[in-house]
Amino acid sequence: MKLVRPLRFLAVLISVLGISSVLSVAVTTQNFSESYPVVVCPPTLDGLGSQISLSSKKTPYQKLQNRSIKTARVKVLRLPVKKDSLVITSEGVTPVVWQSKSGVWAGGAVCVGPASSQWFVGGAADVTTRGRLIIVNSGLGDAEVDVETYTENGKQPLRTEKVSSKSYIVIRIDSLAPGDKRVAVHVAPRSGRINAFMIDEQGKGLKALGGDLVNAAVAVSKNVVIPAIPNQNSKNKPALPHTLRVLAPGDVDASITVEVLSGDGVFVPVGLNARSISAGIVTEFKLDPKITSKVMAVRITSTEPVVAAVKSTTVASGRKDFVWSTAAPELVRLTMAITGLDPAISFAGENINVALNVTLTNGKVVQQSIKGSDFAKWRIPENARSFTITKVGQGTYAGALVSSVNGYGYFPIAAGSVLTKIEVPDSNIRVLNP
Amino acid sequence: MASLADVDKHRVTAVLVSHNGALWLPEVVAALTSQTRPIDLITAVDTGSQDASTKLLKSARIPFFVADRETGFGEAVSLAVEKLPKAIDHEWLWLIHDDCAPAPTALAELLSAIDNRPQVVMVGPKLLGWHDRTHLLEAGISIAGNGARWTGLEPFEYDQGQHDGIHDVLSVSTAGALIRRDVFEELGGFDHNLSLFRDDVDFGWRARTAGHSVIAATSAVAFHAQASATERRTIDVEGAFLHRPLLLDRRNAAYVMLANSSWWMLPWIALQLFGSAIARAIGFLLAKLPGYASDEILAFTSLIIRPKKILEARKVRKKQKFVSARVVATYIPPRWSQLRLGTERLVELVRAKVFPENNSSSVSILDSVEDEDLLTPVNTSNWLSIFKRPEVLGFVAITVITLINSRNRFGALVGGALPISPSGARDLWSFYLESWHQVGMGSSLATPSWVAVMAIASLVTLGNVQFFIISFFIIAPILMMWSCFNLLKKLTSNSWISIPAALLYALSPVTIAAISSGHIATLVLLIAVPFVALILHDWRRIENYSWRKISSVSLLFSLLYAFTLMSFVIAFIAAIVITLDNYFDFKVSQDKELLRDRISKRAALIFVPFFVNAPFSFEAIVHPSRFLTEPGLLIPGGGPLPVLFGNPGGTGSIPLWLVSPILLILVISLFSSTHARGIAEYGFGALCLAVLVGSLSISTHGNEGAVRVWTGPVLSIATLAAVASGAVMLDRLRETLVLSHIHYRHVLSAILLFVTASYAVLAIGYSVTTGADSAVQANRATVMPAFLSVESQTKILVLREIGSEDDKKIQYYISRGKDISLGEPDIAPKQNTEIATAARALIDGTGITSSKVLGDYGIEYVFAKSPFKKEIVRSIDGLGGFTRTSATSLGVVWRVSQPTGRLLFINKDDVRSVLETGEFGTPTYVPGPGTLILTESSNRSWQVLQNGYRLNRTNNEMGLPTFEVTEAGEISLIHDGTARRAWLSLQVIFLVIVIVMALPAGRRKREISEKELA
Repeated sequence: MKLVRPLRFLAVLISVLGISSVLSVAVTTQNFSESYPVVVCPPTLDGLGSQISLSSKKTPYQKLQNRSIKTARVKVLRLPVKKDSLVITSEGVTPVVWQSKSGVWAGGAVCVGPASSQWFVGGAADVTTRGRLIIVNSGLGDAEVDVETYTENGKQPLRTEKVSSKSYIVIRIDSLAPGDKRVAVHVAPRSGRINAFMIDEQGKGLKALGGDLVNAAVAVSKNVVIPAIPNQNSKNKPALPHTLRVLAPGDVDASITVEVLSGDGVFVPVGLNARSISAGIVTEFKLDPKITSKVMAVRITSTEPVVAAVKSTTVASGRKDFVWSTAAPELVRLTMAITGLDPAISFAGENINVALNVTLTNGKVVQQSIKGSDFAKWRIPENARSFTITKVGQGTYAGALVSSVNGYGYFPIAAGSVLTKIEVPDSNIRVLNP
Repeated sequence: MASLADVDKHRVTAVLVSHNGALWLPEVVAALTSQTRPIDLITAVDTGSQDASTKLLKSARIPFFVADRETGFGEAVSLAVEKLPKAIDHEWLWLIHDDCAPAPTALAELLSAIDNRPQVVMVGPKLLGWHDRTHLLEAGISIAGNGARWTGLEPFEYDQGQHDGIHDVLSVSTAGALIRRDVFEELGGFDHNLSLFRDDVDFGWRARTAGHSVIAATSAVAFHAQASATERRTIDVEGAFLHRPLLLDRRNAAYVMLANSSWWMLPWIALQLFGSAIARAIGFLLAKLPGYASDEILAFTSLIIRPKKILEARKVRKKQKFVSARVVATYIPPRWSQLRLGTERLVELVRAKVFPENNSSSVSILDSVEDEDLLTPVNTSNWLSIFKRPEVLGFVAITVITLINSRNRFGALVGGALPISPSGARDLWSFYLESWHQVGMGSSLATPSWVAVMAIASLVTLGNVQFFIISFFIIAPILMMWSCFNLLKKLTSNSWISIPAALLYALSPVTIAAISSGHIATLVLLIAVPFVALILHDWRRIENYSWRKISSVSLLFSLLYAFTLMSFVIAFIAAIVITLDNYFDFKVSQDKELLRDRISKRAALIFVPFFVNAPFSFEAIVHPSRFLTEPGLLIPGGGPLPVLFGNPGGTGSIPLWLVSPILLILVISLFSSTHARGIAEYGFGALCLAVLVGSLSISTHGNEGAVRVWTGPVLSIATLAAVASGAVMLDRLRETLVLSHIHYRHVLSAILLFVTASYAVLAIGYSVTTGADSAVQANRATVMPAFLSVESQTKILVLREIGSEDDKKIQYYISRGKDISLGEPDIAPKQNTEIATAARALIDGTGITSSKVLGDYGIEYVFAKSPFKKEIVRSIDGLGGFTRTSATSLGVVWRVSQPTGRLLFINKDDVRSVLETGEFGTPTYVPGPGTLILTESSNRSWQVLQNGYRLNRTNNEMGLPTFEVTEAGEISLIHDGTARRAWLSLQVIFLVIVIVMALPAGRRKREISEKELA
């Protein structure tokens, strides 16, 4: 009897605990809104031609200058673009734009969503250049953009550009650092929905020396992987030359080690082991590896964050061209539209284990698995509309090389538009309390 | 002693006035007949006595005549004088009341005093109490500026001859006064308008201004019963409305002041009389003497509505006046002396309450044995031994721990649940009183009562609220320990148990969490709960509590309810449980009266404070989540699991691994056979309630998201119960354990002590290290940049990422240009749906119409506080309708493109413009007919006045108040605060009633025993 009352109390406590655990389960504090931001493709400048590869004919798009919020359907899987920059609601599929100057050069770029930082390693500002930097503001409000230019002579004065809403500006690269040969440009918007694109076109007098669309790296990193570099060689002729351009934009000099990855193995070219580069100075190294592989990759390990790209001389349809192979972000699950491109994809990474689904233009889906170590390459079947990376291991990078009648092109395998998971905000007066 | 030869030149006629004075008359007559200097002539007037007064006079052979029952004292004296033989030189009238017995030498001494003072026309004796003949009543009198009768004596002053001598005075009491007959007649005797009371002061005043002197000769003594003034007999004189002596006294006092003062002083005198009447009336009301209170008011008003009487009296006095009125000024007590006396009385009253005299310890000198002193060793107290006392050690320890823990809190505190404090109490008052709060889209919710409490409490720091809050947070643990110690002292006499237990209470998880997270209400509860436990320790038998005590506890509960209505919930649930228990008792005893008494008292205790906190408490009925909140921001608690161990969890709480022994102590105490068991049952109940409440989620106080309830207030009870039951268990445990063989009690005790000691060490360690980096910190940078505060009344949508690095959440709110301050979260309105949608769309990038919506609601800016997601900043940049105006390290500001403001005007052509409004009520010009849109939340108290008329008000489709303007002209926008004022008045009425009920009741004079009086 003496214990009955205390035991009753304990029983009540246990019951209350049970009830409270049921009550507290019902609480959810966070809601999210998920969406893919629209992607922006570069405008087609005078004298150029563009096609955008899409995965669906129903993909909505809008011309940049169009003030209306209405969109139209593309109706084709490869959309030719006459002039305007296009804003495409691709919903998770990354469109690829292929630009070319008839009989002179060709290049590919990924259409991406607005970025807060873009690094372009490529181009020159000397007499040979005809390169241009295109800055697109796809927002409804005016934008301000900082353009930081680095060359072999160091960091150039900051240039701030104003871009009106729903428009783009074109800046000649030679105006950024007149006379300098090695250029790297950082585009950092202060405000606005900004995308930048770079075209590197070179010529000597009337003689065209080729050109390319330079893809952007989003951020500087201590580990840079350039996964697809064309290495055109033959038994009789020496391989066409490559140039590695590196910039450590910080305040401290960097020590870099460059590894070449290819079907022939992995090695560090002579002189590129623990090589010191000055901070803020764009540095170039010749890269002529004696390998038989037609494609290779480069992995740069640095003591300080760097950006890098490799310029490769190519020959397509008997015409000389060059390609800027730029750094690719780590490969993630994504879908990329490649209608009409027929790219060869290279993978770089210690343990490559990638599964893909390739959707053909007829709607059929082909599954493919790629495995290897350090380097692997795979050519996408003809008539492919898109491919989807369904599985990928950590530390894998990929890039695509495309050869066309007008020239050679490269684009990194990267999501132009990642699923943005934005938490639905709550109203809370706490925001007004320090 | 005066020589007989000197005395003989005077002729003294004693005039005895009797009215129902049979009780005292025999002694009076005896005193008159036994005078050492015989009275030359004695005459008496009886004013319609209904007792044996006339018989007594007759038997004493005193010649008398009977006057009308309503005849006043002065009139009776005049009638007697008229019947006397013609006046001769040196003839004096000796006025004798029927309750005033002069000492045998009184007359001789009076005559002696005037003998060499020819200018003296009125002399009075020293009046002593009738019963207590050492009680000094009067030695000359005067009148204060507020009409109070002024004797210059302490209450119940013991006569030790300290006032002896012959003093020039304004007047003397008519009881035993000797007045020169010729002057008496010359001045027309006493003013017949003063039928009773104050006729003496008036006469003295008139005598003074007529150029004569008045003295008090203390060698002459009379004993006075003050029967009329002390309501020992009814007042039947003419004009004594309702036979109320106080009313008559106050009216006459006012009459004397107004009839005799200088013209230029009259307004000030009138004001003083009225003010003091009001003040005294309030005092009487507080003492629960409404009759006296009404006397005060009626006395003044009944006189002031008949100014003719005063004018006539002034005319008479003008004729009699021969010297400047300034001669009287020296006899009127200065205001400071009244104030000093009042203060002294108050201090004495408080002293007597706080330090009651302990008569039992007084030892007669006769009982002392002087030899013993020599044998007693001299106690050479070493002051260092003070530091060996547990009380000193404990309080020094908590002070040191608190100071170290507070090292980041020396400055304006903010953070956690605590918003920034306004600098002055004035701001808190204006916030409390205002009917419309500019928080978010505006709110008309009632400001909680704790804001007023805080404003009052900050008087301690001279109105500096910030300093008060800092001091409160620093001193709170010490106060908690002190209050807990006070409780534990009643449970154990062993300070080595009570002090560590109190220290543990001050270092409990709920204390640490409440301080770290800025939960003011929990801190107040932690301090107050031990006192509540002390007062209500026997509340099962609440019938033993007087209504006055119930009212006192209700006041304490009102304070707790003011801070958090969770205390109401706790009290309500506890009352239900105990009432059920009482009901089971009733089933056995069948005592209906007892049950009814218990229920009514308990109901009063629970619900009266609820009424005192109206309208804030009433609003909680409509918004029930407010029953579970406390002041400030809604900071989530930790959920049921930490609560089970006495830890409220959430921001600022101690880590979960630091398990407190609260649950363990309560469980062990449940099985105890001591008093600890009963205490533990309360603690267990509180813990169960805390666990249950802790699992609930609410959204209120400007927080749209549901967050777990903070259970600090409930846990404070569980913590106290654990500490108290632990102390009770340990009290005699040592003796029990020593005497018994080793068994489970030894093991349990060891475990309990180990866990408790471990917790204490770890809690102190945590408190002085990590605990100092709490959410509440001093001098934090404000959220809103200064440049956004420049434009007053600007509404700004503020976006900010809140939370830890790993768990950040974007949240938003509408600011009025500044950070929120104390009290504002409590009345923050619920967010408008359209604005919420626009803000969400702004974040997810779909808000093409966000700018328009925000503009329509008068929101002029969007501010993204740094650090903020760059993607969203870009998204807003690209939305259109927003123009970036700045991007600094503080954040990014966009201006909403369309013109907007507080008051929008749409003319007949649908053109929208913004009107400058300024403060409420400031005139604004409207250019023509059209529609005014007020971008504040809809409320029926919004009014726009034009040409003295109210414009027709409707709500537009967005729920904003709109007004139809028919013509151009000036308008005034106001928020009518009548309803708020009405509620506040009601609250004040409730509060005053409870205070009056709680105060000790005053007694009517007739209820005071004669022994006490005199």
